[in-house]
Amino acid sequence: MIAQFYQAHSDILLFAGAAAVKVLVLLNVIMGFTALLTLAERKVSALMQDRIGPNRASVFGFAFDGLFHPVADGIKMLVKEDFVPAKAEKLLFTLAPFFALVPVLALFAFIPFGDYVMVFGYQLDLQIAQMPLSLFFVLAFSGLAIYGVFLGGWASKNNFALLGAMRGVAQMVSYEVVLGLTLVGLMMIFGTAGLQDMVRAQGRLLFGFLPGWGVFYQPVAFVLFLTAAIAENKRTPFDLVEGESEIIGYFMEYSSMRFGAFMFAEFIEIILVSMLATTLFFGGWQVPWLYDTGFIFPWGSTLPLNHYLVAALQTGAFAAKTVFFSWFLLVVRWTLPRFRFDQLMALCWKVLLPLALLNILVTGAVLTALK
Amino acid sequence: MIQAAVWFFGAVAAMATLLMIFQRNLVKSALLMLAALLATAALYLALSAQMLAVLQIILYAGAIMILFVVALTVMPCALRDRASRSVFLKVLGLAAAAVILTELLNVSGALKGFLRPVDFSETGTLPLARELFGRFAFQFELLSLVIITAIVAATALALHRRRA
Repeated sequence: MIAQFYQAHSDILLFAGAAAVKVLVLLNVIMGFTALLTLAERKVSALMQDRIGPNRASVFGFAFDGLFHPVADGIKMLVKEDFVPAKAEKLLFTLAPFFALVPVLALFAFIPFGDYVMVFGYQLDLQIAQMPLSLFFVLAFSGLAIYGVFLGGWASKNNFALLGAMRGVAQMVSYEVVLGLTLVGLMMIFGTAGLQDMVRAQGRLLFGFLPGWGVFYQPVAFVLFLTAAIAENKRTPFDLVEGESEIIGYFMEYSSMRFGAFMFAEFIEIILVSMLATTLFFGGWQVPWLYDTGFIFPWGSTLPLNHYLVAALQTGAFAAKTVFFSWFLLVVRWTLPRFRFDQLMALCWKVLLPLALLNILVTGAVLTALK
Repeated sequence: MIQAAVWFFGAVAAMATLLMIFQRNLVKSALLMLAALLATAALYLALSAQMLAVLQIILYAGAIMILFVVALTVMPCALRDRASRSVFLKVLGLAAAAVILTELLNVSGALKGFLRPVDFSETGTLPLARELFGRFAFQFELLSLVIITAIVAATALALHRRRA
């Protein structure tokens, strides 16, 4: 009976199984990386401020320079008192952290982390959801994360939290417009809204030697995208949403793991922004001059490589680029001071938005002229 | 499989809409409307209308609902809103609801005869764009006038309140 069922639905079962494996592996990698990123944030800030940073948490006297701090933080979050304000909307108060976390996690389904691998003669695409419109889905889901901020502030029934939430919603809605518009130029150039197709298109060479990455076609869009993405991520210099010590944020009534979920979502967003910047502007998993069969250098020499080696190199390149951008975002956070709220809004609507529109116009004009 | 998904998300959307209507708290009712919109997006996705699903989420769930929610929260009068005592208004509301319901049923009856089950197919984004920016370009651009009117009105209202 089971064999019969398998016979009848083998293709869909195989597809579902492969997808489940991909989801599990990717989620675990991302969760692990997020935990390390919380440590990296503290270590990078310590380095930049000439401190040592966290180095005390130890197991049997082995501290490994603070490697156990994420674990200790996690345990601390779980066992702290879970406080819910008496007048809060209990259900929505509980749901808010999920609203912040789930859309962000769902977004990873659309990001291609490699080309494909052959497993037992079965072509396994290294992307969870292969959709022709994945870029639009990325924008759609990132818009849903706003509800986490709003619900967190509203359900606490605290005026300061509500004000923080309003600030956050205004900021995120405004910068989302810019975020969407910066990507239009890329869609025009590559002629697709599928992230995997976009990465494949970036494998072409410019002038015969330069890798055809998005950043070489759309340098202005890259700067705009990174700015808007940091603002969307609510990190310094745009961290008015939380402003840890001075201005109060939407999650002021949250404690223990509920607060941890908000914080975790923010760190996961760092990885997401890094992955998106990599995918859209830095060739995703593309390694310069590496093709299906191996390296073909512009000066004519070749280096044939095994299929699995090529796949590993490509996925490794994607991971390396992601780690680089994550580090870059941490450095940005500890370098720049915070904007004032009116400056934040003026920057979005008076500088970034016109520039993004101008970018689309220029891209369109150049594309038409080249045709 | 598709049939089951359609039924499931359709039921969720209908349920959320009903709950939204019978919810007293305005913000909660807005959130239930969000649930209904998301369920509708899932419905489109199950019918492999990806573009429609994405637009549903970006425009309705992501932008318009956020504006609703913000407007509801920052307007003190919205929070103080009490149900009207007047019987006349209630009767008027019920009558309007009855008219809309009959009209909707009429239209859906006409649609039923018109629709046939179509095989699994991708959404034609390109043909849609050709129509919108080709044959209907003028009407499409006219539509933007409506939005500009709304923006001007909103700005005027905001400025008026600041001066007061």
